[in-house]
Amino acid sequence: MTNAIQKLYPSTKMSIVLAVILFTLMMPGYISQYSVFPIFIIIAFISGVGTKFLSAFIKSIFVLVLFIFVFQCFLIPSDTVIWSKGILTLYKEGLEASLLMTSKIIAISSSLIWFFLVTPIKDMMFALEKAGFSKKFTFVIYSTIQLIPQMKKLSQTILEAQKSRGIETEGSLMIRLKAFLPMLGPLVLSSIQQTEEKVLALEARAFSATVRKSSYYQMSKKPVDYLVISVIFIGFMIFVWWRFFK
Amino acid sequence: MSMITMKNVYYQYPLEKEQVLKNINLSIEKGKVYGLVGHNDAGKTTLCNVIRGFIPSFYRGKLTGEIELDGKTIQEYSMGDLATRIGYSFQNPFTQISGVKETVFEEIAYGLENLGTAPEVIGEKVRELIAMFKLDALQEKNPFELSGGQKQRVALAAIIALDPEVIVIDEPTSQLDPQGTEEIFKIIDLMKKKGKTIILVEHKIDLIAAYVDEVIVMSQGEIKMIGKTSEVFTNKEVLTYGGQLPQVALLSLALQNAGITMPTIPITLVEAQQAIEKILSREV
Repeated sequence: MTNAIQKLYPSTKMSIVLAVILFTLMMPGYISQYSVFPIFIIIAFISGVGTKFLSAFIKSIFVLVLFIFVFQCFLIPSDTVIWSKGILTLYKEGLEASLLMTSKIIAISSSLIWFFLVTPIKDMMFALEKAGFSKKFTFVIYSTIQLIPQMKKLSQTILEAQKSRGIETEGSLMIRLKAFLPMLGPLVLSSIQQTEEKVLALEARAFSATVRKSSYYQMSKKPVDYLVISVIFIGFMIFVWWRFFK
Repeated sequence: MSMITMKNVYYQYPLEKEQVLKNINLSIEKGKVYGLVGHNDAGKTTLCNVIRGFIPSFYRGKLTGEIELDGKTIQEYSMGDLATRIGYSFQNPFTQISGVKETVFEEIAYGLENLGTAPEVIGEKVRELIAMFKLDALQEKNPFELSGGQKQRVALAAIIALDPEVIVIDEPTSQLDPQGTEEIFKIIDLMKKKGKTIILVEHKIDLIAAYVDEVIVMSQGEIKMIGKTSEVFTNKEVLTYGGQLPQVALLSLALQNAGITMPTIPITLVEAQQAIEKILSREV
């Protein structure tokens, strides 16, 4: 992690996200909200995660936004028809509602995707614990994130075991579905069984100790963090004044 | 000096019809290594869970009798206190990884962090353990990417990091190759030299014979035999409880049946070698 932006303290980066969320919600219209996306593409490239950012955005948010956009456009009826063909009718209000909603989703999700790409989980957990969150809370978040690849690995093992017993796992959607359902039982049961053993293993590591947890991994806020937070705060106050009091 | 005492302990798991532990009376002396042996379902792991306090705080069921650690009943200790008094290394290496640490180094440090240990002390202790467990090449690896044997070593190191007075080790070598097994037993020996009290559940009888001070034989939830390793492992009664004797002891007993009497029944390779040398010198 050599990039200066990535090195920022997690709460500094989170304050950028919060400012974007508030700006998105307070600002009328959709042009400013849509403009957040290209700004974050630039920030992501400066942060050294540009390609990952675009890939994550297209894989997750783009499809969702497209789906919402199309549905909103055609499902909100009004008097002003922009375009019509067969059963499909595009209304003006529908289009406006789609633009408003998707612009907000795009702005907020781009800031969040950027945040998770430039903030290692370790840093996030450290900052949360330092901020006074209980170790149970951080444990649940952290272990869930780590559990996903483990569950994937376990499901692969179960699938291979089933394949070796002659169950068809590849082919049409129906065949895949048929193979998927019997896999769920062992996957869920073994996960529950492992949870019991894991609880005991955690107890053996003094998880229930009542003293305040320490951390070998250390990070702290630097002058640049205070500078960024100050700039964001002042900028946001100017925006609020301009938006509501001018 | 007795570290752990158990008097008339009985235990029955919830929804089970039969008791898993029956009439357990046991005194674990400070600084000794105990080998807990017996067939599968003899009650060895359950006994370890009772000693560690997981029964009844985690597994409910019906527990009767007295269990004392260092003069205080086990219930008087909080779970956090017990972690620093009794270390527990589990049989399954895959569930012993905390799941919240990204490197082996951090995994070993996790327990110390939970105890609020200062970062500089954590660093020092973990580095010492990494050298002791020969984990230098693995310290930056994700614990989930390790093999079963490597995970077992990391888990044991993480427990020893808490510096408990008593260490309960449940089948530590079930996933290890001969070299890994040897290394674990060397660490157990080192812990013994440091004055730790160790309760070791293990099926590798020859290694038990070489390293432990006393042997506890369990069968059907009861302690059938308890005594010095040299006494228990030379007694054929062990076999009647589904237990095993060391290979050299079995050989010696077979030789006795064939009319070749050994001065003593050996239980380790070294003792066997000495006994054979004596016989040979007698014949010369």
